Amino acid sequence: MRAPVANPGRGRPLAVLAALAALPLIALVPGVNANYWMHNFILVVMWSIIGMSWNLLSGYCGQVSFGHAAFFGIGAYTAGLLYAKLGLSAWWGMLASVPVVGAAALLVGFICLRLRGPFFALSTIAIGVILRIVAENLVGFTGGDQGIMIRERTWVEKTWYFYIILAVAAATFWFVDRLVASRLGYYFVAIREDQDAAESLGIDTTRYKTIALVLSAVICGLAGAFYTSYMGYIDPKVVFALHDVSVMAIMVVMVGGVATRWGPAIGAVIMILLAEIIRTIPKVGTAHHTLFGVLLIVVIIFLPNGVVGDAGALRRLLRIRRPS
Amino acid sequence: MKRPLVIALSILLLSAFLPLGALAAEFKLVVPLPLTGKVAKFGEIMKRSFEMAAEEINAAGGIKGSPIVLGFEDSTGKPETARAIVEKLIEGGQPVIVGEYTSSCAKAVAAVAEERKTPYLVVASADDAITQQNYRYVFRQNQVNAHYADAFVNFMGEVVKPKTIAILYETTAFGTSGADAMEKDAQKLGINVVIKEKYEAGAPDFKPILSKVKSLNPDVVYMVSYVMDASLLMKQIKELRLEARLFAGGAAGFAIPEFVDNAKDAAEYVVSATLWTPKLNYPGAQAYAEKYKAKYGDYPSYHGASAYASLFVLKAAMTQAGNWTAEGIRDGMKAVDLKTAFGPVKFEDKEGYQNQNFVETLAIQVQKGEFETIWPKAHASKPHIYPVPKWRDRK
Repeated sequence: MRAPVANPGRGRPLAVLAALAALPLIALVPGVNANYWMHNFILVVMWSIIGMSWNLLSGYCGQVSFGHAAFFGIGAYTAGLLYAKLGLSAWWGMLASVPVVGAAALLVGFICLRLRGPFFALSTIAIGVILRIVAENLVGFTGGDQGIMIRERTWVEKTWYFYIILAVAAATFWFVDRLVASRLGYYFVAIREDQDAAESLGIDTTRYKTIALVLSAVICGLAGAFYTSYMGYIDPKVVFALHDVSVMAIMVVMVGGVATRWGPAIGAVIMILLAEIIRTIPKVGTAHHTLFGVLLIVVIIFLPNGVVGDAGALRRLLRIRRPS
Repeated sequence: MKRPLVIALSILLLSAFLPLGALAAEFKLVVPLPLTGKVAKFGEIMKRSFEMAAEEINAAGGIKGSPIVLGFEDSTGKPETARAIVEKLIEGGQPVIVGEYTSSCAKAVAAVAEERKTPYLVVASADDAITQQNYRYVFRQNQVNAHYADAFVNFMGEVVKPKTIAILYETTAFGTSGADAMEKDAQKLGINVVIKEKYEAGAPDFKPILSKVKSLNPDVVYMVSYVMDASLLMKQIKELRLEARLFAGGAAGFAIPEFVDNAKDAAEYVVSATLWTPKLNYPGAQAYAEKYKAKYGDYPSYHGASAYASLFVLKAAMTQAGNWTAEGIRDGMKAVDLKTAFGPVKFEDKEGYQNQNFVETLAIQVQKGEFETIWPKAHASKPHIYPVPKWRDRK
């Protein structure tokens, strides 16, 4: 694990945001599949939010979750059910998911946060799986395995989807950045480093762990609610997926850098965009799972703290000298 | 700072942006299919069949003189990936989309096709909802799940005449809608559904659920599942000596050769609903099946036949179409009335479905390790074997 707070002067968030906000301009570049790339960019930004959410709970507060699909799925279903049951736009789900996911996370925290370390991790796996099975079986309420299908998505064009998710990502980034530098952030790191020591210093660990869980869950739920509006179709296997959501959330942060500022974003670029690029290489792409697997192994062996966490080692590895 | 790395990455990204140059005379068709992952087996059968069809069409002069150049992209069975592929294809100017297998991917693709006004021909995804959305551009060649078992239900009503039925199904869109349809059909025939239970697809052990079925002693056990579960279910039914007058499956996993290969003698006498068999007297069906077997060592399933026929349907649509724009092909599709190796294809709006082809379904039975068509009688390749001998009476 790294130092709690990355040097706040580094990274230039506003410059990065400006660069990202200009991405829809690729539509003006002739010969570029703008819609296809916007789809991938949207997924990358969405995953960076899920990554930041996981990073908050597991990276900074040290409570490793294998069940973020639970919160993603609740968010997605909140949006889906508003559409299917109340006839509202699924976009309201982004608003409604906040209290719903927050309440669900409180309940989860009440049960799971009594457990520590690997036991907490195992219990979160269970939560994710239980919720999937519940969603599959509450046929009258969730539609079961048939899922929820939104007949007409709001926009054909991707630009607005992109700006909406980018706004959520920017807000999340700013929020997590502030949080980590605050008193609360120091409590989180203290809990991660040594829970007993933190307790003996007078930190109410259960309370702060619950706060971390609820905040993390709400952020993840927002991404889930967005997913429903964006993809227009959800079913329990898609949104409560252990591998495709929960483990993916971990991989995004592990590859990018645990408890780093830019780790989730870099991780999302690697896990989504690079995976898609490898998949579409002519001929070689057929073995995309193998190639990508090898790449992940290499990252984990040589950069155990992630691309951002081991940026120094990465530079040495690539023999790139620091300019100036 | 990190500049060299950033530059290197942007070059990598930019190189991926560059589109591949297309040749004017060829008709390039890229098909999204699950080529890896849990349902890759079906993707493989379909891929081979698409290739065979393209080869034959090209040998006969292509579509209006343009040869089809096929390409495939692996959707891995994930809706996001399937959507990414289709977004790219439509943006790249492909005027029509054909393919995908799982219903969740097909739904994602259908939504994109509709909003981008590009015709999408579904070849093997069964979930009823796909053609119930009032979509103008989504066509489906295979039968809807609600009708998958029509021939089997008919066979049950006329030959088996059971009083009770047990329905087991996997927790997927396909399994659920198949089981619901069977429940309705059973009620119509006055058959009592003693148990309707779902299981986790890919479960390692079905004995608890099968013991429960055994204690209820139903006349018919009907199961809906993808490939691996089908054979394991039958093997464990045999081990438990669960006796029923008939064991039956709802297409998919019960109707592909791997079922017999894996379940071996436990598969004997099992009846399954299916949409197609290699011995049908549709034009070109047997030729396709034999050619497939000569090449790959096994008969194809209905998924393959549908994929194979779909390119001929596309050819018919594109020959009729005034121009090869999405709109032109869409109107061409609507006008298709073709006899294919998969059966007659015509896209109709009825029973609340749009652009749906209603193919006659069939029932098959495993006899001496081979699938034989048993129902309807007009298509039967062998007479049905019923009643089915008890487990202990089998060699």
